[in-house]
Amino acid sequence: MKSNSTGRLEKILTGGGFAVTAECGPPRGADAEVVRKKAEALKGCVDAVNVTDNQTAIVRMSSIAASTHLLAMGLEPVMQMVTRDRNRIALQSDILGAWSLGIRNILCLSGDHQTFGSHPEALNVFDIDSMNLLRMVLEMREDGKDMSGFELKTPPRMFIGAAANPFADPFEYRVIRLAKKIDAGADFIQTQCVYNMDRFRDWIHMAREEGLTEKVHIMAGVTPLKSEGMARYMAKRVAGMDVPEPLIKRMGAVPKSKASEEGVTICLETIAQLREIKGVHGIHIMAIEWEEIVGEIVESAGLLPRPQPES
Amino acid sequence: MGKQFIPKITVFHCINVFGDGEFLLPPEKQDAAVEFIKLPCSSMVKDVFLLRAFESGADAVLVLVCPEGACRYVEGNLRAKKRVGWVKNLLDEIGLDGGRLALFNVAADDAAAVEQIIVQTLSQLADLGPSPAA
Amino acid sequence: MIVGEQKSIAEIKNIVSPYKKVLILGCGTCVKTCFAGGEDEVAVLASALRLAFKKDGRRIEVEEFTVERQCEDEFVQESAEAIARNESVLSLACGAGVQAIARRYEKTPVLPGVNTTFLGVLEKHGLFTEECSGCGDCQLAVFGAVCPFTRCAKKLLNGPCGGSQEGKCEVDPDTECAWSLIIYRLKLLGQLDNLRAYVPPKNWCASGACGPRKLIREDHVL
Repeated sequence: MKSNSTGRLEKILTGGGFAVTAECGPPRGADAEVVRKKAEALKGCVDAVNVTDNQTAIVRMSSIAASTHLLAMGLEPVMQMVTRDRNRIALQSDILGAWSLGIRNILCLSGDHQTFGSHPEALNVFDIDSMNLLRMVLEMREDGKDMSGFELKTPPRMFIGAAANPFADPFEYRVIRLAKKIDAGADFIQTQCVYNMDRFRDWIHMAREEGLTEKVHIMAGVTPLKSEGMARYMAKRVAGMDVPEPLIKRMGAVPKSKASEEGVTICLETIAQLREIKGVHGIHIMAIEWEEIVGEIVESAGLLPRPQPES
Repeated sequence: MGKQFIPKITVFHCINVFGDGEFLLPPEKQDAAVEFIKLPCSSMVKDVFLLRAFESGADAVLVLVCPEGACRYVEGNLRAKKRVGWVKNLLDEIGLDGGRLALFNVAADDAAAVEQIIVQTLSQLADLGPSPAA
Repeated sequence: MIVGEQKSIAEIKNIVSPYKKVLILGCGTCVKTCFAGGEDEVAVLASALRLAFKKDGRRIEVEEFTVERQCEDEFVQESAEAIARNESVLSLACGAGVQAIARRYEKTPVLPGVNTTFLGVLEKHGLFTEECSGCGDCQLAVFGAVCPFTRCAKKLLNGPCGGSQEGKCEVDPDTECAWSLIIYRLKLLGQLDNLRAYVPPKNWCASGACGPRKLIREDHVL
């Protein structure tokens, strides 16, 4: 963890702060205004904004372009990058370009499988996997070289993130994988949405036992539920998501008009519990197509104002 | 349409359903040609035999097998059922109508049931008409 | 074994339609085992094609012949006379067989009747599963003899993705998660430490990214 990306997220996390990030999904279209509108809602209430890379394998405005729009508005992007759509040549080229545009954070992912998206007949690339991508970005930063060993004149010095899913199977392997990602280069981790607190605690406990929480900044993912239907959908249809039945029932127990309020309440309770867990260094709020609620959540959670580290 | 349609049916049957039995069709159905081919077990009915029966001019092909659970060779009739299903799809693909091929479970020596099946097939053929590939 | 699946009657009918005399040429090795192109399948397809064309009021002569292996010229030669009698060949071999036939009989149209699908295992009678990609750089020793490159939908070499649940793949709940199988095997073998090792990016040249591959056994070449 010695990136000196000069980014705000890195300063907060390495300075021992509790970081808050949110997510912004670029539009299925070429209008920058859509990005700006979503970003406007997040301004001032988060430290950085993840910009997804063709999430769920649906064609959208590129992560690198949408990240640039955020930069222009004074927001700090975390550019997500998946290995599904680009080979090592394209990935490296885009990382160089991203740094040149002022992007300082990257989240390295393998990406949702294309069969779930808008182009199920597409070829998936997966030239390298997320682990290889992490190492690639790390070696660019630490050794100043690209994957071929070529010395880069101005190497990108990204603050490197990785995803972790404490809820996927096989459970006992999840911590080994986390360790591998840290070794490969991850400075920070953003987890899958936490609904099953018991399982999350078990996972982080195991990570702590292996000394991993000292090596990496773990940011726990949260997603406010909007309705019982959404909760059920996520439980049943979204791979690797663990939404316990009592939580779904709780969403169903309130009148429909109050459901989203209940979702926010649950989210706030989750955040409060997460803040008590040793080894959790921040939260990552993924309010899917509901960016305007993020400010309210951050405020009600008592996480405002966000620190403004001097640059 | 001038020529009269004399339906032709090929019946593959397991020797355990009936041996060399002669089936006398009711008088009004006697202008049909029904050919019986006996097999030691219905599972011997290969897909190519069924197709060749159609090539030889059959308008419908029937496969008569023992009731499920009563096969002397345990699963011969189940295999026959799977194969008939496969060939029915093939016939649909060809454009011959998979409905021209059918499998029936028949108890040993139940002559009345066999007669009933043939009569029923003849009445279906009256609607379907001759095989387009006959 | 190489696994293949016969094309639909409609597609085959379409590609043979310019010809009046067609030789359906079977292959008695891999595609025979997977019921796509052995002697029996040749007979069924010949009969089906005759019926299909007759139904359309067209006559077509279909001859049947099967050789032991279409990918070896020694066996391919046996079909010379039958090929000479026909206008075209519909090969029921894998793509390698189709090309080997075309190589010897340059002036004869050679048509594929089978879609070659994968290198697989006969898991049980009637069920074939893909297990190998012929990547040219076998690392099964590390993975407990389960190939993640072939059996993981994302070709992940450094552990399962976040979508693996109850041992099943997120892409298809009827497919086992390759990484679940790997972990299961490594546990049995007492080799779970393998999971901690970083697997570097693959060299795709060995997998065909640098053009068709060739194997030369000098000791067998005269």
